[in-house]
Amino acid sequence: MTSRHPPWATLNHDLGETADIVRDTVRQFTAAEIAPRADEIDRSNQFPRDLWPRLGDLGLLGITVAEEYGGAGLGYLAHTLVMEEVSRGSASVGLSYGAHSNLCVNQIFRNGTEEQKRRYLPPLISGQHVGALAMSEPDAGSDVVSMRLRAEKRGDHYLLNGAKMWITNGPEADTLVVYAKTAPDAGSRGITAFLIERNFPGFHPSPKLDKLGMRGSSTSELVFQDCQVPAENILGKEGRGVAVLMSGLDLERLVLTGGPLGIMQSCLDAVVPYVHQRQQFGQPIGEFQLIQAKLADMYTSLSACQSYAYAVARAADRGLISRKDAAGCLLFSAERATQMALQAIQTLGGNGYINDFPVARLLRDAKLYEIGAGTSEIRRMLIGRELFRETI
Amino acid sequence: MALKIAVLAKQVIDPEMPMAAFRIDGDAKRVVPPANIPPVVNGFDENAVEAALRIKDAQEATVTVISTGAEFALDVMKKPLSMGADELVLLQDDAFSNTIDSFLTAQLLAAAVRKLDGFDLIICGRQASDWDNAQVPLGVAEILGLSCVSLGKKVEVSDGKARVERIVPDGYEVVEATLPALVTVSNELGQPRYPTLRGIMAATRKRPTVWSKNDLALDDAQSEARITLRQLFIPISDQECEIIEGEDPADSGRLLALKLREAKII
Repeated sequence: MTSRHPPWATLNHDLGETADIVRDTVRQFTAAEIAPRADEIDRSNQFPRDLWPRLGDLGLLGITVAEEYGGAGLGYLAHTLVMEEVSRGSASVGLSYGAHSNLCVNQIFRNGTEEQKRRYLPPLISGQHVGALAMSEPDAGSDVVSMRLRAEKRGDHYLLNGAKMWITNGPEADTLVVYAKTAPDAGSRGITAFLIERNFPGFHPSPKLDKLGMRGSSTSELVFQDCQVPAENILGKEGRGVAVLMSGLDLERLVLTGGPLGIMQSCLDAVVPYVHQRQQFGQPIGEFQLIQAKLADMYTSLSACQSYAYAVARAADRGLISRKDAAGCLLFSAERATQMALQAIQTLGGNGYINDFPVARLLRDAKLYEIGAGTSEIRRMLIGRELFRETI
Repeated sequence: MALKIAVLAKQVIDPEMPMAAFRIDGDAKRVVPPANIPPVVNGFDENAVEAALRIKDAQEATVTVISTGAEFALDVMKKPLSMGADELVLLQDDAFSNTIDSFLTAQLLAAAVRKLDGFDLIICGRQASDWDNAQVPLGVAEILGLSCVSLGKKVEVSDGKARVERIVPDGYEVVEATLPALVTVSNELGQPRYPTLRGIMAATRKRPTVWSKNDLALDDAQSEARITLRQLFIPISDQECEIIEGEDPADSGRLLALKLREAKII
């Protein structure tokens, strides 16, 4: 359960008046409207579509989009904070929120034509539509450039054939950013980004996958069978999809870092009251030094991860987007979140291992962030490669 | 012509903060503001802002929020602006630190309302969550010579009158007051709206009007505190449990009744 103010004192990161109000507002909304539903969303594995117009009313779905398109005109720090607070209430709602607001909406805002922005952004920002981004394929995960979804030009449109896999919001999405090969032999230069509408002929989202965690954030395969896409639905330029993809990935990793941060907060939300209430040997277990050590490790992990993420986000808001640090803050936070969820389970003991308490769910949810948006292995490769190359 | 609504709102210590963070400085006779837990706008006052904004949703109106205190957390007090209020007036002066004196607080707020460019309706929360006196709104109405309707759960304005659904023990009654008037509202009014990001951005661009003691032109009688705080402490509550044993449940009940009668509880 989340509360308006956590029962522990967090470090004041001095993020500014706007960031503080945004966080406080979203925290209140999440505590009242999302957190009480988190267990049910996990149990039922149902995407809470009714939340989308409400997130839209608050202005959270187009947070980085300019006001002229209905957005809030805020930056990546605010977006990361919102991602953190929504994920604190429900990690799966947070994941779907991130896929919608960053992977789809922000990509259209950054790369779309004026007409595309006017057409697609308003219903996505209001929450009338759900958005998604489709990059991975059954045989092209980390090796994304090897994708095989074909897009062949036929007059004034393209025909897409192939499949995408592990697409967050796939079964729900009305608007999708989809990467396909327009020139299969041109390697990374043969990839083009398209805007796909759910009702395009030949587009078939498959039933949702049965996942370990992040249940309620629907994930599916997408099948394209002679899917007709108008040529004006190219996002960016033909053959320049990798530039759209890669620049988007840096921001995606940064904003998604709010996911594990929220899960870590949620771990403390569960653990801190518990160590006061649970008595063993005639005293609250929080009196025992081994439990205090766990609290210390959890708090330190959260604070360090927040500091790194907020620093990268503030740099991005100054126009300084660092690939190795975007990957770095997600790498660090994702792995700490999984470890923290394990520690939370250990602290709750037998209660941590049953589903009456939220910590088992938090562990299942946390693991996703070591895999999605590039695995930890890919993130390490990116950071190491960049460090090596910039020091040659 | 736009209806002019003033909302009186108070910054209070967060009533939802953990008990462990609550401290009293007995010597200074004050509650110590907890570190790392920011204050909040009094919950009933958020209901008052919501009531004003619902009127503004229905007709042309301006909403001015007024608060008094010695020190404000600006990002907290801007919340009504984020929700949609038009202006924020802060009565800020070291001399305004005595918030327990309802008479003095009512004098300050009444003076501020008089200083506004006219008003039609004042809306207040029924009471503040710090001292829970529920006296200031009534005092403001008395000082300004206004009709006062308390405990509203719905407020509408038409034809120069405020129509208020007023909570009574077994339901509600509908009363009307000719404007200008003062209405207090309760949580039965419903959930205050969440600020939108657009509202937050608009609020960050607005600066509050700040009035000090000198701006309010109060005479000595008006600014003299009538309440002296003698002592401030956290009461110690003890619980004692006595098991009443009888020969059977009926006998236990009889003995319990005797005990309660001896203690003059029944």
